[in-house]
Amino acid sequence: MIARKIMLLGEIGVGKSSIAKRLVLDRFEIDYKPTVGVDVYQYVVPDEPGRPGMRLIVWDTDGNFGDAIFRHVYMKQASAAMIVGDVTRTGTIDAMCRLGMEFRDAFPGRHFSYLLNKHDLLQPGDTPRLPDTMTGAGIPLIRTSALTGDNVKDAFRAAADIIQRRAS
Amino acid sequence: MPQPTSSNAALPDSSGLAPGDLVATGMHIAELGIYGMVWLDHQLVSRSRYGPLVAFIEIDKPVTDSVVALIGLEDDIAALARTEAPVRLLELPAVAMINPDGRAPRLNFTIFWLPAIDRFLLLVYKASSRSDIEVELTRQVRARLIAEAEVQAKSRELSAANEELAIANRDLEQYATIISHDLKAPLRALRYLSDDAEQALRAEEPEKAAAAVTEMRALARRMSRMMSALLDYASVGRKAEAVTIVDTRALAESIAASLPRAPGLRIVIDGDWPEIVTLEAPLDLVLRNLVDNALKHHDRDRGIVRLTARDCGAAIEFQVADDGPGIPAAAHGAIFMPFRTLGGPAGGTGMGLALVSRTVEAVGGTISIHSEPERARGTAFTFKWPKSIARG
Repeated sequence: MIARKIMLLGEIGVGKSSIAKRLVLDRFEIDYKPTVGVDVYQYVVPDEPGRPGMRLIVWDTDGNFGDAIFRHVYMKQASAAMIVGDVTRTGTIDAMCRLGMEFRDAFPGRHFSYLLNKHDLLQPGDTPRLPDTMTGAGIPLIRTSALTGDNVKDAFRAAADIIQRRAS
Repeated sequence: MPQPTSSNAALPDSSGLAPGDLVATGMHIAELGIYGMVWLDHQLVSRSRYGPLVAFIEIDKPVTDSVVALIGLEDDIAALARTEAPVRLLELPAVAMINPDGRAPRLNFTIFWLPAIDRFLLLVYKASSRSDIEVELTRQVRARLIAEAEVQAKSRELSAANEELAIANRDLEQYATIISHDLKAPLRALRYLSDDAEQALRAEEPEKAAAAVTEMRALARRMSRMMSALLDYASVGRKAEAVTIVDTRALAESIAASLPRAPGLRIVIDGDWPEIVTLEAPLDLVLRNLVDNALKHHDRDRGIVRLTARDCGAAIEFQVADDGPGIPAAAHGAIFMPFRTLGGPAGGTGMGLALVSRTVEAVGGTISIHSEPERARGTAFTFKWPKSIARG
């Protein structure tokens, strides 16, 4: 089974580790523990018609890196990135957008998605304001909730599909 | 960690320790689990290991099976054997490979190329463990950073909402004034005319009644035009306009070519007209209205309307200047208000300059008028159009 490295990027406190834990361990921890350095998870995306199973090596990075992450050894040979923002904190959405543009410049041709996390905290009818550069650019924009698990596995399955398509 | 040596002599800084003592010391530290070593062949297969810290790394299997953090780095590691650099190593610090139970030690990985034994050495050692107090401090500092960023964001949102509210209140007040004053007069006229028509019909004077109805129809049309103009005015800045590259000189030339005028009136385009990324339709509206006004209100058979542009850093400054009769200073304050006319050709709604002013303000620009008819003929409207557009 092929293995591909996928990065979880985003500001501190947006829920990167919670997404990784929901994906791999299928659980959510209330207690916030900041990631220091990098946590590496494995997740197997099962076979699907047209795509063999794929082992994703998910790198959950320390949000303190900010834009400097792109110059770090952690990023070497990353196949894709999931860039996470917190829908309840507009500053993190702007940062997510900046990281997306930086990733596109640093890793041209590599896939990335925006994950709008903590979707469960929005009130019915609330719509987060998104920067113009984020919408309509053909970059997947996925609303997730690490708390409920909404769309978390789907997001990584979709990333595996795109990684596979671009490699073939 | 000193590199292995084939010499039996004590190393210069070892204070007389024999190599055997050094090896024993190294082994002791490794056995305590402070560090561990794994030797890899050219294919990055683990061939031997030492120390409990690396007990999880399987022998005779690719090292990436056990150390998944090295997946993707195989080429970078292999390249260490080919380079001539004096220090041939690759470091991967502070990595925790999470187990199915959700836990893992945080380790530093350093890979060296050892040409003397034709092997890679993977040195694994514990990343500096943080005390509970340090972790708690980190958590609190981050929580504070998040809270501060959130307060700042909310404060910016509140400030923007307050500005929008102030504009909305000003608009509401203005529309109330317009409706109560400017539209009330033609409504009153309609009522009088309908009374006239009724009286004429009772007096069996159909021609008078028909004349009153004709006037009523004209008034209704005028009110309809005023309402449309008012709606246009209200929608300025609220439409989703597309930002595009605009060749401002080409825009000015197309406006000049499209506007009807007396044969003796010339339009001259001067200055530095750049290409900018902006909202084309609103800029067209502003320039077109100003040039059209200058042509329509000119009082002579011959004259010049001069369009100039210059780069002012953050904005482009456009000017539309004519040599017409000028506008008295007393009227300067009113000309940008809705439904205000200074006479001139019939049929205008008095909304042209109001639309111009509101459009310029909607993109974050400014507009001013200069005219002193008591000293010299002519009027110059100057507006600054920001290069970066403020989106409402």
